[in-house]
Amino acid sequence: MPLDEETVRRIATRLEEGEAGVAARLRALEVYREQPLPRRSLHLWRYTDPAALMPDGLGPLPAEAGGAPGPVPGRPAAAVLLRPGEHPGIEGTLPAGVTVEPLDGGDPRLGRAVPEVRGPFEAMNRAAFDAGVLVRVAPGTAVEGPVWIRAASGGGAFLPRILVDVGEGATVTVVEEHVGGAGGFRIAVTEILAGPGARVEHVPIQRLDDGARGHLTVRTVADAGASVATSFVSLGGTLVKMDLGARLAGEGASSELLGFLLGGDGQRFDHHTVHRHEAPRGRSDIGFRTVLTGRSRSAYTGLIRIEQEARGVEAYQENRNLLLSKEARADTIPELEILNEDVQCTHGATVSPVDPDQAFYLESRGLDPVEAERLIVGGFLEPTLARVPGGVRELLEPVIAARLEALGAGR
Amino acid sequence: MSGNDRIADLNRDYAERYGFHDAEDYLLKAPRGISHEVVEMISRTKGEPEWMRETRHRALDLFLAKPLPDWGNTELLASIDFDAIHYYIKPSEGSERSWDDVPENIKQTFERLGVPEAERKFLAGVTAQYESEVVYHSIREDLEKLGVIFTDMDTALREHPELVRKHFGTVVPPGDNTFSALNTAVWSGGSFIYVPPGTKVDVPLQAYFRINARNMGQFERTLIVVDEDASVHYIEGCTAPVYSEDSLHAAVVELIAMPGARIRYTTIQNWSTNVFNLVTKRAKAYERAVVEWVDGNIGSRLTMKYPAIILAGEGAHGEMLSVAFAGTGQHQDAGAKMIHLAPDTTSRIVSKSISKGEGRSSYRGLVKIVPGASGCRTNVECDALLIGEKARSDTYPTMEIAENDVRVEHEARVSRLADEQIFYLQSRGLDEDTARLMIVNGFIEPFVKELPMEYAVELNRLIELEMEGSVG
Repeated sequence: MPLDEETVRRIATRLEEGEAGVAARLRALEVYREQPLPRRSLHLWRYTDPAALMPDGLGPLPAEAGGAPGPVPGRPAAAVLLRPGEHPGIEGTLPAGVTVEPLDGGDPRLGRAVPEVRGPFEAMNRAAFDAGVLVRVAPGTAVEGPVWIRAASGGGAFLPRILVDVGEGATVTVVEEHVGGAGGFRIAVTEILAGPGARVEHVPIQRLDDGARGHLTVRTVADAGASVATSFVSLGGTLVKMDLGARLAGEGASSELLGFLLGGDGQRFDHHTVHRHEAPRGRSDIGFRTVLTGRSRSAYTGLIRIEQEARGVEAYQENRNLLLSKEARADTIPELEILNEDVQCTHGATVSPVDPDQAFYLESRGLDPVEAERLIVGGFLEPTLARVPGGVRELLEPVIAARLEALGAGR
Repeated sequence: MSGNDRIADLNRDYAERYGFHDAEDYLLKAPRGISHEVVEMISRTKGEPEWMRETRHRALDLFLAKPLPDWGNTELLASIDFDAIHYYIKPSEGSERSWDDVPENIKQTFERLGVPEAERKFLAGVTAQYESEVVYHSIREDLEKLGVIFTDMDTALREHPELVRKHFGTVVPPGDNTFSALNTAVWSGGSFIYVPPGTKVDVPLQAYFRINARNMGQFERTLIVVDEDASVHYIEGCTAPVYSEDSLHAAVVELIAMPGARIRYTTIQNWSTNVFNLVTKRAKAYERAVVEWVDGNIGSRLTMKYPAIILAGEGAHGEMLSVAFAGTGQHQDAGAKMIHLAPDTTSRIVSKSISKGEGRSSYRGLVKIVPGASGCRTNVECDALLIGEKARSDTYPTMEIAENDVRVEHEARVSRLADEQIFYLQSRGLDEDTARLMIVNGFIEPFVKELPMEYAVELNRLIELEMEGSVG
C-alpha cells in the first residue's frame, strides 16, 4: 500500500485511535508529501542513498508474523513487545507512578523531540506508525530494573514509535531493542522527554536480521539539570542508518553517549550523533566506537553544536574506528559548530588496525594472533558493555562472540 | 566582558587604516558581465593559441551549467552579482622589465604595503600583479642561468606553449567546480614557474597581487612545475584597497611536484572585507615528493579555500599549515585536503583559527585514503580561538578511509582567550592589551615561524594593529 490518506486512516482505525490521532497523522502526511527525498549532496546523506531506505510500500496489516522473539532476559520492570499493526504487549508489575500504555497518534507530546519536518523518514513514521508505546514516569519516581521495549517484525515495513516522558527528578532505564525485519524496512522514531533533574538511561540495541534495512531516529530533550546516559549497540541489518542525539534544552543538563557498532560481511552502517546545547552550563560527552570486518562499511557523522546563549558549556566527542580487514572502510566526520566563546570543546577521531604494540605484547604472552586480536577488540567494546543494565550484556555476549569468531575464519 | 566588546570593534576602521586606492586609469576594460563574446575578446586581445581559446569557451559552458555550491555560506555566495563584474582589465601596455619603468601610482601602492625598496631588490623575483595583468616582472639573472622559468602566465603561454599546454588544467580541471570553470574561462595573469631537474632554488620567489577597480574580478592562474629532485619556495601575498561594491577573486593554482621534488607554497591573503575570495589550489605530488602549503587568511568578506595535495606517488609527503583570522563581518571558510592515492604516503594538517567579534571561521577538510594505499599516516590538528560573545567557530573534517593498514588521527580544540592566562600575565606586570597580544601571538606562533622573516614581521605588525584597535 502506498503512504496515502486511506493507509493512514486504516492504521489509526486498527490501533483504535480517535479523530485527534487521525487528524495529527494526516497533518504529518502533508509534511511528508511536501518533503522530497534528501539530496545526496547534503552531508548526512553523502554515504547512503535515501531511496534505498524508503519502503516501496507499507505492508498489509497486520504484517506477517516475524521470528518469535524469546523472552526478555534479566529482570525488567516491564517487557513491552511492539509488532506491526498491534497494540503493544505489556508484561510486568510496575511501581506506582509508572505507566506503560499504547501510544495514541493524537498525543500532543509527539514531535516535541523529533518534529516531522526533520525529514521524510520522521514524517513518514509520524503519519503511519503502526505500533507505539508511551512510557510515563511520575515526578520523583525511581524505577528499578529496565523498561524493555522490543520491536519485532517479519518482512515488509514496520514503523514503531516510542515516547518516554520522565517527570521532574524521576529515574528510569529504557532498553529499546530492534529485532527481526529480514527483507523488510524498519523506520523507527523514539522521543525521550527528560524533565528537570530527571535521570534517564537509554539503551538502543539494533540487532536486526540479515537483509533488514533500517532508519532509526532517537532524540532526547533534557530539561534543566536532567542527565541522560545513552549506551547504544548496533550489530545487525544490511543497511542501517541510526540518528542518535540530545537537545540540552535546560540549564545544567548533561548527556553522555557511549556505544559501538560491529560490522561484518557486506554490512553498511551510516550513523549520526548530535549534541545540541541550547542552554548554559551543560555538559556532553560522546564515545563512538566502530569495529569493522569483512567488506563492511561505516560512515559516522557526529555534531556538537553550541548555541550562542549556551555559555559555560563543556562538550567532548571521540570516535575510534578499528579496521580489521583489508576491505573494510570507515568514513568519519566529527563536526563542531560553536557560536559563543565561553566553551570548552574538543573532539578526536582515529582510524587504524589493531595496535601492533598491544598485539605484540599479547603474542609474547603466548596468545596466537587471532586470540590476541579478539581480546583487544573485546577490550575496545568493554566501556559500553560495562555500563549496560543487567540482561543486556548476557544478550549481546554470544552475538559478539560469534562475530569475533568470524575474525579468525578469514585467515 | 567589556574587553571583548572592544575587541569586537576590530577591523571596523579598515578604511582609515588600510583603505587606499588609486584612481582608475585603464587601457582596456571588458564590459560588465560574462559571455562568450567577453571570453573571445580576452583570448583575442592576448593573441592566444587556438587550444587555449577553445579551453576558455568550453570552461565558460561548464561555468554557465554549474550551480553555485549548496554548502558553506550559501547566503553570502548567493549575494554575488556575476553580471556586475568586469572580467578583464588590461592596465598598461606590455610588461615592464625594470623597477624604474613601473608606473608611479603602482609604486605608491607598494609603499603603503610597507615593503622596503632594499628588500624588494633583495628578493629574487617580484611579479607584481596589478589588476589583471602583470605589469612588473624581473628575474634575477642567476635564476635564468639555472634554467628556471619564472614569468607571468600570459608570457609563459607565448614563450613556452608546450610546457603550459602539457600541464595546464591537469591538476585542477576546468569542470572541477563552479569557480575553477569561471577562472579557466576568463583567467588573466598569475605566475608560471618551471624548475628543471635537480635544481634547487635557494631564494623564495615572490609575487604580490592587487585588486584596484570597482567591481573587477581577479582571476589569476598560477602553474608551478618542479621537475625531478628540484625544489622551490614560492610566496604570494595579497592586500586590497577598500571599495563599497563587492569584488570577486577566483584564482586557480596548480602545483606539480615530480618524483623527489619539493615545493613550498606560502600565501597570505589580506583582501579588504568586501572581497569574495573563492579559490581552488591543488598540488600533485609524485614519488617521494614533498609539498608544503603555508596558508594565511586574514582578509576578505568570505573566503572559501581548501588547498589540496594529491599524494599520487609512493612515499610522497604533504603538509598544510594554516591560520585564519575572522573579524566581524568576515567568514573564513578554509581547510585542507589530503588525498592518499599511493602506499606509504604521509600527511599532516595543522589549522589555527581566530574568530573575533562576530567573525566566523570554519575548518572544512578532507583526508582520503583509497584501497591499497597501505602504510599511510595522517594527522590533523585544528585549534580555534574565540574572542567575543558572538564569535563562531565550525569544524567539518571528513575522513574517508578505505584501507586498514593505516594510521589516521584527528584532533580539534575550541577555546577562548582565557581570563586566567591574561590574569597571570598581568600579575607579571604586563598591561591587559599586551597580555592579549602576547597570547594571540603565542597561538599563531607555529605558523609565523614558518614564514620568511619579512612576512613574519608584516604579519606580526598586522596582528598588533588588529589587537591594538580592540582594547582600550
